[in-house]
Amino acid sequence: MKKTLILLYAAVTVALMIWGFYQAIYVAPSDAMQGEISHIFYYHVPNAMLAFLFFAVSLLGSIGFLSFRRSHPERAQISDAWALAGAEVGVIFCTVVLTTGPLWGRRAWGIWWTWDARLTTTLVLWLIYVSYLLLRRFAAGPQVQTLAAVLGIFGALDVPIVYMSNRWWRTQHPAPVFGGGPDSGIKDPAMLAAFGWNVLAWAAWGIFVLLLRYFVERKHQLNAEAEAQEELEANA
Amino acid sequence: MDPATQIDHQFVVAAYIITWTLQLGYLAWLGLKWRAEKRSADRRLHSR
Repeated sequence: MKKTLILLYAAVTVALMIWGFYQAIYVAPSDAMQGEISHIFYYHVPNAMLAFLFFAVSLLGSIGFLSFRRSHPERAQISDAWALAGAEVGVIFCTVVLTTGPLWGRRAWGIWWTWDARLTTTLVLWLIYVSYLLLRRFAAGPQVQTLAAVLGIFGALDVPIVYMSNRWWRTQHPAPVFGGGPDSGIKDPAMLAAFGWNVLAWAAWGIFVLLLRYFVERKHQLNAEAEAQEELEANA
Repeated sequence: MDPATQIDHQFVVAAYIITWTLQLGYLAWLGLKWRAEKRSADRRLHSR
């Protein structure tokens, strides 16, 4: 039953990805000003939205770990697994944003990169979570999870700054597509539909990957726990 | 197709290929990690 549900979810996700791709490339018209390069938007923006969501998952997991680490060790480990999964999947989505963005910028602006507020704060966000993953991978000792949780919370503070950066400051990055005043929003119905399908498709994909990463980490934790227990028993 | 449109097209293709390479590469790495953890658990069960 469980296997069937997973396969069904994977099949729906693949179908959504194919449909989203078809909508983005073949159905949505090119922007009148930008031309064909505007089609990058359908992958760039949903990936950015989901990166924010996964960093929020990491934030909640980190808060959970710090809250439960003394009172409920099991819950703390579950929270920590969510924190790690959110950070890692968030970094993957943020990497997509930071590679597709400059490709668009090179054609639209004539430059790969500029140190404006939106781009710089996004890069800082990515660097904070990469340092989080490096800390988890290479540091050792009983305090690693606690230090990582603090860093995870610190990193999440950058998310609202990234979101608001092109509202607070004048940036080279385009104005907000949604929630940016009376002129914002996608006017063309075909473009709006393509955007909506791609948000849905990437959300389905992202949740699938996030769940998989969470279960891998839980399995790792349980294996490490069992190994430690066996060693204790052997020494006794 | 004029050269500018052709370059635009190549940039869109590059963006989509990079996105899928990153996402599928990560999924493959997760699959390998899952298999390694499963094998480790199985090995411990058999050694008991």
